[in-house]
Amino acid sequence: MNAVAPSAITFDDFRPGTVLGETSEVVSDTLADHWQRIFGRRADDGAGSAAEGASLAVVLMMRAYLRVVTPRPPGNVHARQRFALQSPPRRGEAVRSVVSCAAKEMRRGRRYVDLQVQGSGDGGRAIYTGQLSLIWAA
Amino acid sequence: MNRTPLQTATLKVDAATIRAYAELTDDFNPIHLDADFAAKTPLGGVIAHGTMSVCLLWQALFRSFGDRAFDGLDLDIRFIKPVRIGETLLAGGEPGAADGCFDVWVRGDDGSDRVVGTLRPAAGR
Repeated sequence: MNAVAPSAITFDDFRPGTVLGETSEVVSDTLADHWQRIFGRRADDGAGSAAEGASLAVVLMMRAYLRVVTPRPPGNVHARQRFALQSPPRRGEAVRSVVSCAAKEMRRGRRYVDLQVQGSGDGGRAIYTGQLSLIWAA
Repeated sequence: MNRTPLQTATLKVDAATIRAYAELTDDFNPIHLDADFAAKTPLGGVIAHGTMSVCLLWQALFRSFGDRAFDGLDLDIRFIKPVRIGETLLAGGEPGAADGCFDVWVRGDDGSDRVVGTLRPAAGR
């Protein structure tokens, strides 16, 4: 269950201050439709609103992290999330998300890794800055 | 300064919800989707994705302030207890000690906190 594939990224591999990679993804109708399937399609659910846009910014952060930082060992735990939204992304906007290692630290025998994901949209406008604090499994 | 609590938002977290959120985020970690795998982990069973709760907080914020709340905001939360399949989540918040901030939470069926933290929306400043 907790076997780590030889190629999985481990705690020792992280170098604070280094960029790990980036993605570019359009805020598509498909993503918005997926969000509405879960959270609702009515105006007071936030469908088509800035709440939907803010959610899709979080989604893009997660998708960037999962695509860039791979393969991961099984059993990582998402412990803390900091998220600064500068401006919600617009439908159809391409968002560039850059993933970097912000910090790592051993605390009480646990391996903590902080990953920063910075999202920018059309013309380089700032969209979001997310910091995931993860307890890394290996 | 606004001292009104946030309006709440709810979400029923069933297997279909978790599957749909996995597809939305491309996060197919078996801890969220594979009951047999999840049962053998320290968490002891399937749990929902943490950031699902962030989206629910955004709904609570939207119902309280509308679009203007999202014109710049800062969130800092901790995932303190797993969200289990079958639970109905409730997200909300109260005005915090700092001006314009809210102490936000997401709670499970038993009323205990799953997520806690602070939120500073544009509309609260």
